[in-house]
Amino acid sequence: MMEQRGSGTPAGAIEKAPSKVGEMSEERVIRALLDAFPTAVTDYKKLKAGVLRARIERRELYRCCQFLRERLGFEHVSMISAVEYDDRFEIVYHITCYGSCLLLELITQTPKDDPSVDSVSSVWGGANWQERESFDLMGIKFNNHPKLERILLPSDYLYHPLRKDFKG
Amino acid sequence: MGPQHPMTHGLWNLRIKVDGETIVDAEPEMGYLHRGIEKLCENRTYTQIIPLADRLCYGSSLTWSHLYCLTVEDLMGLEVPERAEYIRVAAIEMQRIASHLMWLAAYAADLGTLAGFIYTMRDREVFIDLLQALSGSRLTYNFPRIGGVAHDVPPNFERDSLRACTYMEKKLDEYDQLFEGSKVFMMRNEGVGILKKELAMNLGVTGPPLRASGVNYDLRKDQPYSVYPELDFQAISMPDADCYARYKVRMDEMRESCKIIRQAVQKMPKGKWRIVAPRNGPVGTGIGRVEDPRGEGMMYVVGNGTPKPYRLKIRSPIFVTVSAAKQMLVGYKVADVVAIMGGLDMCIGEADR
Amino acid sequence: MKSGEGEPSVGQVMVFRSKDFLKWADGVMEGILKKSPIGGGIDFLTKDFFNWATRNSIYPLHFGIMCCALEMAVASAPRFDAQRFGVIYRSTPRQCDVLLVTGPVTKKFQPGVRRLYDQMPGPKWVIAMGECAISGGPFYDSYSVVPGVDQFIPVDIYIPGCPARPEALIDGFIKLQKLIKDNKRGLLTGK
Repeated sequence: MMEQRGSGTPAGAIEKAPSKVGEMSEERVIRALLDAFPTAVTDYKKLKAGVLRARIERRELYRCCQFLRERLGFEHVSMISAVEYDDRFEIVYHITCYGSCLLLELITQTPKDDPSVDSVSSVWGGANWQERESFDLMGIKFNNHPKLERILLPSDYLYHPLRKDFKG
Repeated sequence: MGPQHPMTHGLWNLRIKVDGETIVDAEPEMGYLHRGIEKLCENRTYTQIIPLADRLCYGSSLTWSHLYCLTVEDLMGLEVPERAEYIRVAAIEMQRIASHLMWLAAYAADLGTLAGFIYTMRDREVFIDLLQALSGSRLTYNFPRIGGVAHDVPPNFERDSLRACTYMEKKLDEYDQLFEGSKVFMMRNEGVGILKKELAMNLGVTGPPLRASGVNYDLRKDQPYSVYPELDFQAISMPDADCYARYKVRMDEMRESCKIIRQAVQKMPKGKWRIVAPRNGPVGTGIGRVEDPRGEGMMYVVGNGTPKPYRLKIRSPIFVTVSAAKQMLVGYKVADVVAIMGGLDMCIGEADR
Repeated sequence: MKSGEGEPSVGQVMVFRSKDFLKWADGVMEGILKKSPIGGGIDFLTKDFFNWATRNSIYPLHFGIMCCALEMAVASAPRFDAQRFGVIYRSTPRQCDVLLVTGPVTKKFQPGVRRLYDQMPGPKWVIAMGECAISGGPFYDSYSVVPGVDQFIPVDIYIPGCPARPEALIDGFIKLQKLIKDNKRGLLTGK
């Protein structure tokens, strides 16, 4: 059902690849996201001028990223960070739009016992190494990643050092 | 090639597969300088991290400690005095010139123009001296503080900065003659390492390599921080997307930096240069983004109400740019590797963290 | 498996290969020069000259790790000009006699540094430049940094500073020259 809704987005409401500064405001991005993924986007907020935050369910992450890139023109993934909390992992995507200079903070959650999300490296090539780094240091598994190997630590290292239970 | 190789300027490894002389596949290998700074930050207080942030990138350490302070100020919701902002901007732009000159020195030495190394290192000392007068150290300054800067500018700072800018602008014209008059330098640069605009955007390349690919995206202009909106300068971009364009973008950026320094020291208002920051960070998150000399630097901090950050994530521009090395290298000759990888301005300290 | 790996084949027995020649030459040189008084005599005559040449042509390896690498580059640039003291950077370990460790050595890179040290021909010296190389510096409690390069290779000169200034590096080179002068040794007999 979700897929039908996602693909059935009224594309006419959103201009393709907006290029002028100021053409797309924070509110319009939120509205477009809510139209496309009404149940998956759970929390959204405007943090300050040009910076948005949205939470999305893990199962819709890949399609949401595709939507952001192709329909809304978010062409650059700045940073992918994984944060460990007591009961969950949060993976934070900072995504930039070159045209309107917006920064979107997209947060998705994974449970502690199954830290895996879909890889977005086929959407943005720049995500490739950042996902490898998150896997290396935090142990998040990215499904369908082309080459999910250790990148900073030696390949025979046993631990994921940024986890809170790692001791020296 | 690497980790110890005169081409690398740092510790990294490049594995290339060649067919005759032509490169068919390339894979950089990182991590030889991974110090685990993100983990160390979890065991330091907010103030103790500033020297660590300095040591992230040895080429432009001031940008990184500034970025860290910006991030924590965003987390704590602090408003920095205007004088401090102007001091910071002047210092960052001096650091940018010093960093680009360091790159130019290494690049020139790689491409067989050893005179370029001598000249650029000589002129870099002018800006290092200014920063030393400002902060007391040559390379890792530990100068910005959360909520301002460590101390006020020294006497005669304005006069010395203006002199240095005038000197530098004259020297930049000299460099143009030196490098563009050198046939070897031009032959090894023009039409080498082309990275198309769409590819560069998709691969997350930022900074001078992105602007050399024809995308005019400069965070100082497009998502301004500090007092950049009040200063008059231009973001440089070139459409050619080759190594020569990257060289040209950096040279023009140095000219723009001279302009910014001149305005910043003249417009600097009187007043306080530091406010007291709280010891404990609040519960919440903060982000900071700056235009590093190498690209888009970014930090994401999560606070939990204690004097230590819960998590600090650092986005390194070079780490992402290097992942595009394959697309830049494939199809060129082995001899072009030096020009292509040298043109990226590698700084392994921040890439490996 | 090639045949005759365990026992030499006929061809291998009959041929006098270059390896065998080297072995023979080594043996002869050992006998004539190193063991007999001739070597001691030559050493006595040439010791001072070779020592003078060694200490005034220190060739460090062009090998930058972190911050101190920039100061190393600055030290050879016009303002400080370490080449006045015969310090010329070489790019391959086979031509060097000083290994300058200019930053923290990570556990991933530790075998690499060890290999560089082993590749250098003797006599060789090691300079630990900066806090990171001496003791780990600001990264002393990191999970991936070796706290001090002297844990796996012998270090002759320690230069403190974070990063060490170019003047300090030049001072370190002068101290190394004194060290070489004090431990005067013959090339053949090692006395």
